[in-house]
Amino acid sequence: MAHDSTPQKPIVVYGTIFVLLFLPLIISTPLATEILIWTIFGMGFNLLLGYTGVLSFGHAAYFGLGAYSAGLAFRNLEASLPVGIALGVLAPMLLACLIGALAIRKRGVYFAMISLAFAQMLYFLALSPLKHITRGEDGLTQIPTMAIFSLSLGKPLPLYYFIMMTTSVMLFATWRILQSPFGKLLQAFRENEERAKACGYNTTLVKFFSLVISAFYAGLAGALNTVYLGYVPLTTLFWLTSGTMVMMTILGGKGTFLGPLVGVGVFLFLQNTISLFTPRWELFVGAIFVAIILLFPAGIMGTLEEKIAAFRLKREAKLVKE
Amino acid sequence: MAEIPWNIIAMQVFFGIALGCIFVLLSSGMSIIFGLLDVVNFAHGTFAMLGAYAVFVVVSLTGNFFVGLLSAVVIVGCVGMILEFFLLKPLYGKDPLLPLLLTFGLSVAIPDLIKIIFGLIGKPVSYPDTLSHAVTLGPMILPGYRIFIILFTLVTIISLWLFLKKSDLGMIIRASTRDSLMVQTLGINVSRIWTIGFGLGVGLAALAGAIAAPMMSATPDMGVDMTMTAFVVTVVGGLGSLGGAIVGGLLIGLVVAFTAFFAGEYSSVSMFFCMALILLVRPRGLFGEQGRE
Repeated sequence: MAHDSTPQKPIVVYGTIFVLLFLPLIISTPLATEILIWTIFGMGFNLLLGYTGVLSFGHAAYFGLGAYSAGLAFRNLEASLPVGIALGVLAPMLLACLIGALAIRKRGVYFAMISLAFAQMLYFLALSPLKHITRGEDGLTQIPTMAIFSLSLGKPLPLYYFIMMTTSVMLFATWRILQSPFGKLLQAFRENEERAKACGYNTTLVKFFSLVISAFYAGLAGALNTVYLGYVPLTTLFWLTSGTMVMMTILGGKGTFLGPLVGVGVFLFLQNTISLFTPRWELFVGAIFVAIILLFPAGIMGTLEEKIAAFRLKREAKLVKE
Repeated sequence: MAEIPWNIIAMQVFFGIALGCIFVLLSSGMSIIFGLLDVVNFAHGTFAMLGAYAVFVVVSLTGNFFVGLLSAVVIVGCVGMILEFFLLKPLYGKDPLLPLLLTFGLSVAIPDLIKIIFGLIGKPVSYPDTLSHAVTLGPMILPGYRIFIILFTLVTIISLWLFLKKSDLGMIIRASTRDSLMVQTLGINVSRIWTIGFGLGVGLAALAGAIAAPMMSATPDMGVDMTMTAFVVTVVGGLGSLGGAIVGGLLIGLVVAFTAFFAGEYSSVSMFFCMALILLVRPRGLFGEQGRE
């Protein structure tokens, strides 16, 4: 992965937004909405795993905390849409600061274990000791329908386009982050942490910020999920939510700009299709994931980029020969 | 809080140690695998679940619990070695996160396979008759099966220790944990040692699952909680340290038993609090070597 895989020009961003505009014409609107929510989640996760090289197995904590914070704000405080979403983003960022301060120094596998354990702690807290706030296993119900500028988001299409606009902003923001010196630094760490350290950069601090930014995305996705469902299921905090995110990102291609979108789309499509035949979709998805790790660890977009790069190299070699 | 009779406290200590023994078996396997292969086995609890199902199948076929325990270790150990040989071997020397991700994939897929074969509902495993009696010790009544767990774990850990310290194979395993390249240079097939080590570690997980089966019955989804416990114990005890796995396992067992008694709601949360505390006070874990974390 020596080549720089981020697009230099924002044409990819505009192109993607253009496609997203017409997505509800191709697939059902709820599925399209779900893809967008998970894509936001995935872009943040990819920033951490794909571009910084830090594997978190506990991103359900940020997603779920975002979902619950927004849900509680809407339901108990009668907060407006922006206020609820802001709370849904802030709380996970604070949590990320806490977990990051405790564990981001650890080497890869160790951080993966610790992040998973903390997420599971949050899950069990919401399940039982904090039942009077979170409603335990039932999840948070009776969340009022949100509106933006007196346009109700209760209907599928307005909701889709609201979430699509948010996704577009986040796509652009991600592109900007990756172009910025900070983004280049993240990738430098992933490629060679020792060298970046030797150049005088504080690797711990950069990893820490990457985690907090990633929690921002996850919290935003969680809050939007609450707006979309009108309900916060306890499974938002469950370990399988983190696991699903890991699978989606690897599937799409970690460290590629469009990887999260592609990974989320393919994963949800697979899940929906297999569910038609059998309730045991996890067996197939898990097996597919194992096969991908063995055969195409670069994922769909990563493998595609490798192929294109190899093709270009060949063509250049040919030109030089002539 | 009102005064609590000391015999109740002593009972909780006893229950905590018995529970901790299961955690010790589980985490020592995890520790061996990590030390030897540098692999965090996400499917560790899944193998424990397979051990519980193996004991269920063998007990219903033969009617003997002890045969069941032994065959659970052998069956799951072999499954582990096959999986290591075909799935994990191709990943060594690549990105260190890949084996973790691969075993995660297994932990998603295997429980569903078990659901297809055995159904969604858990399978009960009955206590062996000889161990279902309770022992009265002064004012305390100690269930026989839990005494068995403690004694059995003691014997297993001592034999494991003797195996690693005294036998030739154990010595090779310890040497490979230190420096596998050097062992390779001496003309030993390290790749085979890795397979054996993985089988050993997974076999210990199976033993933990099998021995826990009569108390909680075998369910397809029991694996994740056991993986999580193994992670917590490993972080508390120190990654890749057998002594850490033992002390960490007993400590977490006691913590869970006491919170279950005094504040039942928090029993699942307490071990994570314990882990956070250890991370604050002693980041490398109780027995961890500096720099390995």
